[in-house]
Order: sequence, then C-alpha cells, then structure tokens
Amino acid sequence: MAWTFKSPLITLSDQSTVSKAETLWEGEMLGGLTEDNNPIPKPVVWLVFLTVCTAFCVTFPLWGQRPTAALYAPYVASMDKPEVLAAKSDEEAMRRIVAMNKGTSADAQLVRHPLTMDDLRLLKDQIKALQARPDVDLKDYTVVGQKVVIANFEGNYRADGTRIRQQPWWDKGYTIDLFYLTAFFTGVFLVVKRLPPTEWQPRHGGDH
Amino acid sequence: MFKYLFSKNEAIPAGSSAVYFGFSAIVWFVIGTGLGAFNASKLAFPDFVHGLEFVSFGHMRQVHVHAVIFGWISMAFAMAMMYITPALGNTKLWSEKLGLWNCFLWNIGLSVGLTVLWAGMTSGREYSDFPWFIDIYISLFMALPLGVNVWMTIINRRTQGIYTTNWFFAAASFMLIIVFIVGNLPEYFHLTGLTEAYLTWWFAHNILGLWITPVAAAIAYYTIPKVTGNPLYSHRIGHLHFWSIVVFYSTPAAHHLMSAPLPEWLKSFASVEGVLILVPAIAFVSNILMTMEGKWNMFVENLEVRFTVTGALLAIPLNMQGGFQQTRAINWYIHGTGWIVAHAHLALLGFSTFMEVAAVYLGLQTILKRKLYSITLGNIHYWFLLIGFTVYWVSMTIAGLIQGAGKIYEVPYIDVVIAEHPYMIARWLGGSLVFLGNCVWLYNMWMTTRVGTLVPKGRMPHELAYER
Repeated sequence: MAWTFKSPLITLSDQSTVSKAETLWEGEMLGGLTEDNNPIPKPVVWLVFLTVCTAFCVTFPLWGQRPTAALYAPYVASMDKPEVLAAKSDEEAMRRIVAMNKGTSADAQLVRHPLTMDDLRLLKDQIKALQARPDVDLKDYTVVGQKVVIANFEGNYRADGTRIRQQPWWDKGYTIDLFYLTAFFTGVFLVVKRLPPTEWQPRHGGDH
Repeated sequence: MFKYLFSKNEAIPAGSSAVYFGFSAIVWFVIGTGLGAFNASKLAFPDFVHGLEFVSFGHMRQVHVHAVIFGWISMAFAMAMMYITPALGNTKLWSEKLGLWNCFLWNIGLSVGLTVLWAGMTSGREYSDFPWFIDIYISLFMALPLGVNVWMTIINRRTQGIYTTNWFFAAASFMLIIVFIVGNLPEYFHLTGLTEAYLTWWFAHNILGLWITPVAAAIAYYTIPKVTGNPLYSHRIGHLHFWSIVVFYSTPAAHHLMSAPLPEWLKSFASVEGVLILVPAIAFVSNILMTMEGKWNMFVENLEVRFTVTGALLAIPLNMQGGFQQTRAINWYIHGTGWIVAHAHLALLGFSTFMEVAAVYLGLQTILKRKLYSITLGNIHYWFLLIGFTVYWVSMTIAGLIQGAGKIYEVPYIDVVIAEHPYMIARWLGGSLVFLGNCVWLYNMWMTTRVGTLVPKGRMPHELAYER
C-alpha cells in the first residue's frame, strides 16, 4: 500500500500495490459484474469544471437582489421637479422620472424593479424620513412591496455600533464553499490516483 | 410470509425477504398512486366527494406522499438491497429472518403511520409529517434493521473488493437513520421558528439527497451491467459520483428557504452547493450511458434496461431544474408554485421510480426463477408510466409558471385558479394513467409468480424466448 509521488497524474501507488490491485481487479467476480478502469472522460472533466464556475457565477447576488431604498432615492428626488409635475398623466410622469435617472450604475437594477407613480407616492415619505436621519445609510434598507424596511443582512459592525445591512457580492458562505470544493477535489484525486494507471484495462472473463 | 417469521433462518428460502418487500412495494405503489389520482381529481373537480372531512385534500395529501415515499420507493429500495447486496458479495443475505421481520414491521408501521396522518394527526411539517412516535418507530423498526442486514451482509461478503452499488447501499442505509433522528429533532424537543424551518428542509432535502437519489443510482449501477453483460464503464467515475453525493448533496438544505430570514451567507453557501448537485448527476449519467456502449438495442428490446435508461435520462432535466431553480435569480419566481410539485414528481415518479421498477422486475424474475408472465403487459406498464408521468410533469410545470406570473404581477388568486384549471385536469389524467399502469403491473407480477415460465439455473430471464 506504499505511495509514490514520481508521476502523481498517472498513479500515486507504487508498482507492487498496482500489481496487487490489478490481480484482484481481474480475478474477482462481484456477483458476475465487472468494472473497467477507464479514465474520467475529458468532456466530463470539463463539465464538472464548468459546473463549479457556473455555481459561483449564477449565485452571486448580482441577480435576484432586492431593491434598496437608495435605489429609489433619485426617483423620489425627481418627483418634485417642474417637468415631472407638469406631466399630464402618471404614466408620463414616471417615464420622465426614469429618463432623468438613466445612465447610472443602477440602470440594470431599476429595469428589473420598475415602479408606478402610485408606488413612488407610497415610498416617498418613508424614504424622506430616512434621509432626514444623518446616521442612516439608505443601502441598509430594502423596499418590500410598498414598505421600506431594514434589510435582512447581518454584516460587520460600523464604528458607531450599527450593523452593515448590505448584501455583499462575496460572503463567508462562498468561502465555506471553497473549503468544501478543495476537500472534495483533493479527496477524489487521491482516491482515483491510487488506482492502477488508466492505460491498464482489466481482462474480464479470463483465468478466474 | 407468516410461517417464516418464526422459522429458523436456515429454513427460510434465499430471497424470501426480497420477494415480500418487492410485492409490498408494488401494492403500496398501487395504493399511493391511487391516492394521488384521487387527490388530483379533487383539484380538477373541486365538488367531487365534497364535504367529507376524511377525504378532504388536506387530510389526503400527506397520506399520498408518505405512501409513495415510504411504501413504494423505500420498500422497492429495501427489496433491491435484499437481493443485490448479497449477490454482489457472492454470499447470502446475513439474515433472511431479520429481512422478513423488517418487511412485516415496515408494513405495520406504515399502515399505522398513514392511518394517523389520515386522521389528521400530523407534525405539520412537509415531508416529515409523521408524528414523533411514528418517527421513532421508523428509525428503530424500519431503517435500523434494514441497515443492519445490509452492513452485516457486506461485512460477511466473500469478495475482497466492494462493488460501487454496495458503497451506496451501506452509506445510504446509515444516512437514512441519521436523517430521521436529526431531521425530526423539532418534533422531539419542540424546536420552533427558523430552527424548525431549517431542520424541516434539512430532513426533506436529505431524504431525497442521501436516500432516494443515491440508492436509485446504485440500483442502475447493478441493473445495467447485469442485464447488458457489459462491465461498468468506469470505477473512477463511480468514485466521483459517490463522493460528490456525500459532499455536495448533504449540504444545500437552506436553498429550500431562499426567501426566509436565514443568514444570507448560509443561502449563498447552500445555493452554490445546490448547483454543484450537477456534479454527481453528470458522473452518474455519463457512467451509465457509456456502460450501454454496444448494447443500445437492449434499450428497445429489454424492459429492465428501458426502464433504467429512461430513469437515467430523466436525471438530466431533473438536475438541470434542481441546480438552477434554487438560485436567488429563479427561486423568487417559482417558489411556492406547481413548478416545485412538477419537479418533485420528476425526482420521485420519473428519475427514481423508473430505476426501481426495473430492479423489482429483474429481482422478482431472478429470485422466483420465472420469466415475466407477459412482455406486452410490461410494455403497457412502461408506456402508461412514461406518458402519464410526462403529462403530469408538463402540465404542472406550465401551471407553476402561470402561478409564478400571477404571484409576481399580483393577479387576483381566483383568476390564477381559473387559468390553471385545464392543467389540473391534465394532471389528473396523467396521474390516473400512472395508477392504471401500476394495476397492470401488479397483475403481471402476480401472474408471473403463479404461471411464469421457469428459468433454468444459470440463465437470466431475458435470455429466454417467450412461450406465450
């Protein structure tokens, strides 16, 4: 059962261990079933790699993020501008507000979370009340339907003792995932590389 | 069966417990899908048997779910373990007597459990609906004896190595006990709130991830090489599959609660692991399909291979759905809709059922040494199951998307109900087709026992020509 690290990508077992494994592999009938020693096919390896990358990319909270109060603060500020007040209908007023606030990094999120003028009217006072408090960061508040509520995140504490309540793009959940992935790939690598090299294939139905 | 319960172990014919588990599984499948079709009829036609509390949807839903999971699926697994585990170790089952008692106590426990559920005594937690005394019974008298028989048979094997299927059987029968004990902690200790919610979904997720999925796959690792005569394509992919199940499938319970006030980092962790469920799926499907090389004619000609490969192919949409529907970006839309019901049926009635059916067909014919009574009835069973399941899955997926749209755009609930109605009728038709197919199956297997052509020693049932 000795280990060798001369060519770790081929096998991690020394010659005597490989020979024993080969003899057992060919000589043993497991209820009439046999197994081959084929390598994990390259497309499968690529698919696994792609899955790992995709797993992180699609779960980053860039997608599916709830809108924050900060997202709509510019909309609220635009509500009292003369060109908005001059609009003949709510729809036209909303179109003007959206047009006025285009060209920022929040564009994509605003498209995903559109509002009507009625929504804005309900949010306006709540957002203004928060803006009146100097210790409040609007990004710590989430807009849920017609209510502005403290966001359900528990980040680090600020110097003033309040907690950061903003969704980070990376959190300790992802760090734990990296730990699991490292343990998994190391474990599977060690297990499969202890087998005889893939150039060797067992002869089934031979001398046994 | 009863005469063997008090016989000496040596006096009990080999394979007896597998036969009784197998027939119990089929009977529970008929009952479970019958209840499912009945429940579906109540959603399609709300006035059907209206006003009777005992047959109201709220009482009957859990009975259907648990009859199928613990009656059909788990007893078919037990059947497969009772004959495959010793076969792969070139030995006998450690104790046929324990197996028979296990089967007897399983039927008793399940009957009592379903009766109390039917009477309205429930924990109120989805999938772990059984009250605490039934949970303890299941752990001690259903899961533990099964595990002991499997582990002791593997320990007493007459081979040096352990074939891939038996890794899965040994690990899954151990994990089933752990899942039952830990997952039902809220029941024993009155845990409430988020702890209760998390453990409820830890249980539900792991019953799927550490019991149903790995055991179904393990059965396919036996059935395909056994019937085709091909070696399993890659022992290495078996390792990749097994360890990825252990690492990635056991962890994402929180992805069932993406909108709950759990810590966001826990959701991030669970969501990545949720996508990584694709790793065991890729490993399993590739290994089975590569093992089929040169024998694809059997996909058409052989019933067991057709059932197994269909189940393996259904693992592809199952895991594509499962991997992505739990991400934040998609979950907000489909959560709490019929999409999830469709997905659950894809897992239990599609992926795993097709492979279990193959194991029961193969096992009963092999142990009873009788060829299937009627291949025509077998084919009817296959097509009824496949068409019925597909109609169910597609209709519920569409209904789920309608519900999701209704939820997001705040459409009045009754309008969503009206829009869904045609799909509820389709669901009932699909479910009824599955039920009818299973009635045909029960008849076919009963007749196989009574008048099936005898298979000579050393031959496989499918190698013989039909006499009728």
